[in-house]
Amino acid sequence: MARKPVPGVLASFTQVDAATEAITGLKARGFRDLTVYTAAPNHEIEDALKEPVSWVRLFTLIGGLTGVTAGFAMTIWMSRDWPLLVGGKPIAAIPPYVVIAFELTILYGALSTCAGMLILSLAKSLKGRPYHPRFSDDRIGIFVPCAPEQTGAVRSLLTQAGSEEVTVHGA
Amino acid sequence: MTVRPVITRDQGSEDRDQGASPELSPLTADLSRRRFLTVLGVAGAGSAALSGCSTAKVEKLIPYLVQSEDQVPGIPTWYASTCTECSAGCGVHVKTREARAIKLEGNPEHPVNAGTLCQRGQAALQGLYNPGRIKGPLQKQRGAFQSLLWDEAIGRLAQQFQNARGKVAVISGAGPGSFDDLLAAWTQAQGGRLIRYQPFDRAPERAANLRVFGLDELPLYDFATARYIVSFGADFLETWGPVIEQQRGFAQSHGFNGKSMARHVYAGPRMDLTAMNADEWHPLLPGSEASLALGMAGVILGERTTAPQDANALAASLAAYTPEKVAQDTGLTPDAIRKLAREFVSAAPSLAVAGGIGAQHRGAVDLCAAVAILNYVAGNVGQTVRFGAGLPKPDGYAAMQQLIAAMNAGEVTAVLVHDANPLYALPRSARFAEAFAKLPFKASTSLFLDETAAACDLLLPAHHALERWDDLRPRAGVLGLMQPVMTPVFDTLAPGDVLLRAAQKTPDLKAQFPAPSFEAHLKQKWAELARSRGAADTEQFWRDALQHGGIFNGAVATPPAVRLVPTVPTVLTAPSFDGDGELILLPVPSSMYFDGRGANRPWLLENPDPVTKITWGSWAELNPETARRLDVREGEIIRVTSPHGSIDVPVYVYPGVRPDVVAIPLGLGHTEFGEYAKGLGVNPLDLLGAGSVEGFLPYVATRVSIATTLGFHKLAKTEGNPRQLGRHIAEAMPLAHAEQGYTVEESLKQVGEEEHAVNTAREAEAIAGFRASQVEKTKLGAYAEELPKWGMVIDLAKCTGCSACVTACYAENNIPWVGYDNVTRGREMSWMRIERYFEGGVEPGEPFAARVVPMLCQHCDNAPCEPVCPVYAAYHTADGLNGQVYNRCVGTRYCSNNCPYKVRYFNWFPFAKRAFQAPLDLQLNPDVTVRARGVMEKCTFCVQRIRGAQHQARLEDRPLADGDVRTACQQACPSGAIVFGNVKDPESRVVRAAEDHREYHVLGELNVRPSVTYLAKVQA
Amino acid sequence: MTALAHEPHRPTQTHAEVTRDILGTLKTPSRGYYLALFGAVAMFLVGLFTFTMLLKEGLGLAGYTPPVMWSVYITTFVFWIGIGHAGTLISAILFLFRSPWRTAVYRSTEAMTVFAVMTAALFPIIHIGRQWIFYWLLPYPNARFLWPNFKSPLLWDVFAITTYFTVSTTFLIVGLIPDVAAIRDKVSGWRHTIYKLAALGWTGANSQWRHYTRGYLYLAALATPLVLSVHSVVSWDFAMSIIPGWHGTIFAPYFVAGAIYSGIGMVLTLLIPLRKVLHLEHMITDYHFDNLGKLTLLTGSILFYAYAMEYFVAWYSGNIFEQTTFWRRAFGPMWWAGWSMIICNAFVSQLLWFRKIRTNLTSLFIISLFINLGMWFERFVIIASSLSNDYDPYAWSNPAITWADWGILIGSFGWFLMYFLLFARTFPVVAIQEIKEMIPYPRKHTGGH
Repeated sequence: MARKPVPGVLASFTQVDAATEAITGLKARGFRDLTVYTAAPNHEIEDALKEPVSWVRLFTLIGGLTGVTAGFAMTIWMSRDWPLLVGGKPIAAIPPYVVIAFELTILYGALSTCAGMLILSLAKSLKGRPYHPRFSDDRIGIFVPCAPEQTGAVRSLLTQAGSEEVTVHGA
Repeated sequence: MTVRPVITRDQGSEDRDQGASPELSPLTADLSRRRFLTVLGVAGAGSAALSGCSTAKVEKLIPYLVQSEDQVPGIPTWYASTCTECSAGCGVHVKTREARAIKLEGNPEHPVNAGTLCQRGQAALQGLYNPGRIKGPLQKQRGAFQSLLWDEAIGRLAQQFQNARGKVAVISGAGPGSFDDLLAAWTQAQGGRLIRYQPFDRAPERAANLRVFGLDELPLYDFATARYIVSFGADFLETWGPVIEQQRGFAQSHGFNGKSMARHVYAGPRMDLTAMNADEWHPLLPGSEASLALGMAGVILGERTTAPQDANALAASLAAYTPEKVAQDTGLTPDAIRKLAREFVSAAPSLAVAGGIGAQHRGAVDLCAAVAILNYVAGNVGQTVRFGAGLPKPDGYAAMQQLIAAMNAGEVTAVLVHDANPLYALPRSARFAEAFAKLPFKASTSLFLDETAAACDLLLPAHHALERWDDLRPRAGVLGLMQPVMTPVFDTLAPGDVLLRAAQKTPDLKAQFPAPSFEAHLKQKWAELARSRGAADTEQFWRDALQHGGIFNGAVATPPAVRLVPTVPTVLTAPSFDGDGELILLPVPSSMYFDGRGANRPWLLENPDPVTKITWGSWAELNPETARRLDVREGEIIRVTSPHGSIDVPVYVYPGVRPDVVAIPLGLGHTEFGEYAKGLGVNPLDLLGAGSVEGFLPYVATRVSIATTLGFHKLAKTEGNPRQLGRHIAEAMPLAHAEQGYTVEESLKQVGEEEHAVNTAREAEAIAGFRASQVEKTKLGAYAEELPKWGMVIDLAKCTGCSACVTACYAENNIPWVGYDNVTRGREMSWMRIERYFEGGVEPGEPFAARVVPMLCQHCDNAPCEPVCPVYAAYHTADGLNGQVYNRCVGTRYCSNNCPYKVRYFNWFPFAKRAFQAPLDLQLNPDVTVRARGVMEKCTFCVQRIRGAQHQARLEDRPLADGDVRTACQQACPSGAIVFGNVKDPESRVVRAAEDHREYHVLGELNVRPSVTYLAKVQA
Repeated sequence: MTALAHEPHRPTQTHAEVTRDILGTLKTPSRGYYLALFGAVAMFLVGLFTFTMLLKEGLGLAGYTPPVMWSVYITTFVFWIGIGHAGTLISAILFLFRSPWRTAVYRSTEAMTVFAVMTAALFPIIHIGRQWIFYWLLPYPNARFLWPNFKSPLLWDVFAITTYFTVSTTFLIVGLIPDVAAIRDKVSGWRHTIYKLAALGWTGANSQWRHYTRGYLYLAALATPLVLSVHSVVSWDFAMSIIPGWHGTIFAPYFVAGAIYSGIGMVLTLLIPLRKVLHLEHMITDYHFDNLGKLTLLTGSILFYAYAMEYFVAWYSGNIFEQTTFWRRAFGPMWWAGWSMIICNAFVSQLLWFRKIRTNLTSLFIISLFINLGMWFERFVIIASSLSNDYDPYAWSNPAITWADWGILIGSFGWFLMYFLLFARTFPVVAIQEIKEMIPYPRKHTGGH
C-alpha cells in the first residue's frame, strides 16, 4: 500500500479460544484499538471484544419514519393538486394511501439501513493496517497497533496465547 | 334538437363530367391538407355556377379568399334530401362538415320517417364513400375494363342504342320521380321497354287486392291506431313495407302507454325480429296461414259482429273453414282460433297483414286475399287499411322473365341497367346471366362493380344519391327532393345527365330532350308543378321545397270506396314445393342486407343480425330437434341441396324455427360487389326454382335435403350466452301487472319469483347510509357547481331491437368495424349494442320468446371503472359523465375488467386504420377523436353533441333547453324508445319518463348507481 | 447421507474445506452449462421477438377475448412474483426465526427471488396497450403536473414491486459482500481485480462485522413484512374489483400462501439439479429437502383450505353471480384449467405427508414440477376464467391462448434462467460466511487438529 503503514503487531490464529485469550490479555494491558479479522462473525470473539451495540438501528428508524411521512405527503398532496373524482370516492382517500405509505416505509428504511452499515463501517478507518487473505478463509487475525518499544511485549503475549505466526508491522 | 339551419344549395355540382381531376381522387391518400382544401374549395364553388372543368377547380384551390356563405369551418351545414336505400323514400338531413357528408339523420318534417332513420339509411354514407365504387366511366375491352372519357362513354351508349333501336331494354330500380319519368320517356323514344324491377316486390298483395277488392294496388297499413295486430308472416319491422314508419306506429300502439297497449300475434314458421316483438307466436307451416285467416274471418262472420253488409256474401263460402278444419290445417286448437278471432274483432280497429318475403310461397296470393277478407270482415278496411296511397307498382318478376325470353330470342340486343342487380337478385335457375351474356351491348349506371355491372360492356357510374339532383314520389302526397350535398367523390355523373346527353348525341332525339342538364330539367318540372299548385313565385316554391326536403302536404287522392268484388274466390289450394327434401327452405330477408344491396357496407355487416346476433356471414337456422336428428352443432357446415342447386353453410341452432324448416338469410353470397361483399356468405336464391306464380317469384317453394360435411366455420356471434340465468337484465311484466301499476319487484313477486334483494334490512340500511355519503362526495371540488347531470331512459316496451341505434352510433362516433376474425374473439367495438336474451323454448312445448335490451355505458355515479385506472384516464366529469381520456389511457384494461356491464371496448389493433381506409375516412366526424391502438373507448353519451348544444345555447345567450341535446342513438330510434336529458331538471322529459312504475336499473344491486334507467317490457 | 443425527444442519467440513468446496463451484464451467445457458438465451430471444411483434402489430396478437381483458400475461406476472416470495421467506423470515437449515439454501433462493421479480416486473409493461408510455404510472413531475391515481391497486403494485425489487436486491448484495471478499482472496488476475472492486474493501474486521450483523438483522426485519405485503397487494389487484371470483376477502392470505407454495416449488426445481451439478451434496442434504417438503405441505394445505373456502362462500353467500362463476370454474368451458389447479396444488401437495417422498429427490422434483404447473393454472383460472363469465351473460366469452401468449411465457423463463445460470457461475450459491458461522473454530484445549 502506498499509504503510510500503521506500526503494530499482526498475529494469526487457528484456534478461537487462543484468539479470545489473546484479546482479553491485550485489553487487560490497555490495548483498546484492536482489529480482529474473522471469516465469519463469532460470538466468543465479540464477547471478548465487549463492543457496544451498533448505531445502525437509528438509521433504520429515521429512514422508516421518513418513508411513512413521504408516502402520505406525496399521495395526499398529489391528489389535491389534481383533484379528480373517481367512483364517488373522496379526492384524498386515506385507506388506499396506507399501502403506498407502507411500501415507502420499508423502502426508505432498508436503504437507510444499508447506508448506515456503510457509513459506520467506514467511520472506523483501517487504512495502513495489515491484512492477510487467509483471514477470509480459516484463520483469525489480530492486529495490535503499538509503538515500536511495545512490540516485544505484545509479541510474546500473542505467542503465549497460541498464535501460529506473529509479524511486526510498520516502523 | 339543436337548431339546424337547413340550407338550400343552388346549381350545386352540375356537369362534373371532366370530373375528378387527380388531386380530387381520394384514392391518392387519406385526407391530406391539400385534398381537404380542394374539396373545400370546390364545395365553395358550388354557389358560383361554373361549368366544372379542372381549371375552375384549381382556381378554387385557395379557399375562402371569397368566403362561401354556406361553409364555415367547424360549423356543420345541413342539407335536406331523400334516402334511396329502399323504396320507402324517407326524408333525411345530411350533416356536412368542411364540405363532406358525415352523418345522415331523419327529416322531422317528413311524414314517412318523422325524423328517425334506420340502419340501412345511416349506412348510405358507406355507399357514398365505399372503396368499391367505380371511379369513372369504363368499357370492357378483351375482357378487361379500360377507362375512357365521359364524352366517349355517352357517345358509345347513344350509338349502340341507336343501332339497337327497337331492341332496347332498360332495367331500373329507381322509384317514381322525375328521373323515372325521364327514363320512361327516353326508353320509349328509343323504342325500348322499361322494366321497373324491385327484388322485394309485394306483387302477391296487389294480386290479392285485385282479386278481393278489384284494386291493383297496395294499401297503407296504420299500425299506430291498431289495437290488435296479427301478422301472417309479414316482417313489418324488417323489410316488408315502409318499415320505419310501421315501427313508429307499432311502438305507438304496442308500447305500453301507462294504461293499455295493442296485442300483437305473429303466425309464421320462424321467429324473426317481428315475431320476437309479438305477444303470441304461432309457428305455422308455410302455406297453412291462409286457412287460419279465413277461419278467423269465418268465426267473425258467423258471430255477426261489425261485419259490413256485403261481407255476408262470403259467409257461405267461409263456412267451410270451421275452426275444427282450420285446427287440422294449422295445428292450433279450435278454441284458440275462436279466441283469436274474437279478440281480433272486439279490439277495433285491428289489423291483419301478410305478404312478406318469408311468406311468399305459391299460395301467397291466397294468403294475402284471405287476410284482405279478414280485414274487411273485421271492418278494418278504411280504418287501419287505407287504399289510394299511390305506392309504387314495380313491374315484378314476370316482366323479368319476359325480358329473359326476349333476350334469348334476340328481341332485345341492348340493355341499360340502372340501380338494379338482376344477376344477383334473380335465382340462378332463371338463367338471366346466360341470356344477358348473349347481348351485344350491355351498359350499367351502377355505383359499384356488382354482379351485373361486371357482366356489362360499358359502365357509366352514377352519382350517389347524395351527389345528385332528383326527386322521389314514394306515395301520394309525398314529394321528396334530393340535392347534391358535396363534390362527387369520384368521376361519376348523374344518370339523368347521362340520358340527356345521350339524347343530345342521338340526332332524332335532340329535340325531344332539350334540357341542358338534369338539374335544369328537374327545376323545369318543379316550375310546372309550382304553377299547377298555383304558386306565385316558382323560385320561392322551389327554395322552400328544397329547404324542407320536398313537399309533404300534397293533395292525397281520396281513398276509393272499397267493396268486395261480387264473387270472391275463397278456395285454398295448399301450396306445392319443388323437390322432396325433408325440410322446407325459408329464405329470410335480412334487415341489414335487404335485397343484397347492403352487403358491401361494413356498418351493416358488423351490425349483428337482430335475431341471431351473427355478423360477417351466412348461416342456416335449424330447430334443436332437427339439429339433434341430423347430429349437427352450431358452426358445422351442412350442404343444403334442392332440385335447383346446393350450398354449403354453417349451422345455427335456433329454437325459433319450425323443426321442418331450414331458414337461410338473403343478401349475402355475392360473387362481385367489392372487397367487403365478394365471397362473403352464401345466396339461398341459388336453391330456388325460376317458375313464377301469378307474376311473382315464390321464395318459399323449395324442399331441401341436408347433408353433413366435415367443414366447420365459427359463426361470428356478438353474443356470449343467450340466456339471462335469472340475472334480471332484461325485465318484463305481464300487461295485467302493468295496468295495476306494479313495480318490477312486485310483478316478480306475483309470478312467484323470490325477491332478488340480497341484503338484509341492516345491510340495506348501511348501503343507504353509504349512498348518502356518496352523494355528499359528488359535491367535491368542481362538482359543487350547479351543473346539469346527464341521464337516459330506455323503454323496453318500445324497443324492438331493430339496431338502427347501433349503426347511428358507429356513424356519429367514428367507431371502427373490426371484421370477422376479431368479432369471433369478441372484440367488436359497438359502444351501443342490443342484447338479445331467449326465454323458454328449452323443454318441448314450452313457449319460446325473446327479449332485447340496449346496452351502453351506464355512466354510473359510483363507476367501478374509474378508481381502478392508474392514470385517471377514466374519471367522472362535473356533469356526471363517465369520462374517458384517450390520450391519457395507457391501456391497462383494468377499467373494462371492473365494468359489470362490459361496455368498454379496447383497440387491440390499429382498427381505425383499416376501418377508415380511403375514401371511407371522409365520413369521419371531426368532432370525435379517432382512437389510436392500445386505448380503451366507450359510449360518451355523445359528449360532442352535449358540448355543441351548450355552445349553441351560449351563442344565443339562452339556457340550455330540454331536448337541445339528442344522442345519436336517440335521434335514430324509430320507436322513440330512448329519452335523454338533464336529470337535475325536474321538468325534463327524461325525469318524467323515469317516473314510471316499470323503472329499474340493470344490476342495480351492485350499487354502482347507473345513469341509464330502463322501463320494463310489457307483454300483452 | 452422512449428516450427523444430533445436529443435521451442521456441515462436517473445516472452514478451509468450505471455502474450497464452494469456490470450487466457480471453476470453468462444463459444456452442459453452456448448453443450458444457450437454451435460456434462445428462449429469451423467442420472447423478445414476440414482444417486438406486439409493439409492431398490437396486443391483439395475444389470445384476448373480451371481456377477458387480462389473460396469460398477467397470469405469468403473478406467477413470477409469487416465485420470488419463497426466497425472501427463507432468507429473511427463517433468519429471524434462527432456523439453522436455511443457511445452506438461502443464497440460491434469494438470487431466485431477485431474478423472479426482475422477470415479473417486465409484465406490467408488456401487457399494457401502449407499452411505450408505461412510465405514466410513475409519479414524476411532468410538464402539466398530471399525477397518477393512488387509489388504483395498479399503483400499489408499482410501489410494492419496485420496493420489493430494491430491498431484495440490496439484501442479496449485502449478504454477498463477505463471500466476494473470500473469493477475492483466493483468485488472481483480472478476476481478483473485479472481485476486489465488488468486495468494497471488506476485510472481516470486527469494526465491520459489528455493524454488518446488526444491519443484516434489520434488513431481514424489514423484508419480512414486505414480502407479506407484496403479494397481498398483488392479490388486491383482484380483490379490490367487483368481479365474482376476484372480490374475495381471503385473497391476501390465500395469495401469500400460494406464492410461497409456488416459490418453494421453484426452489426445489432449481436446487435439486443445481446440487448435483455443483456437487454440494454434503452441504445441501436430505435434511434441507425434508424441511422444504414440510413447508410445501403446510402452504399446500393452506391452499387446499382456501379453495374449499372459496367454494363454500360462493355457495353460502346465495349470490348467483359467485355461484355461477365457481360452478363454471369446475364444469364450465375451462374445467380443464380449474381441475389442473385443484389437483396439482391441493391434492399433489398432500403426498408430502410421507417422509419417504419428502426425502426422495426424484419424487420431490416431479412434485415440484406439478407445483409450478398448478400454480400457473391457479392464476390463469382466477384471472381468465373469472373474467370470462361475470355479470352480463351476453358479453361472456371463452378465453384463448395464441402463439403470442406462448412466446412471452417462454421468453420469461429464458430471461429468468439466463440470469440464474450466470449468477450460479459468478457468485457462491451457498453462503460461505454463514456456513462458516455454524462451524466451530478448532480450540486448543479440546485439542482441535
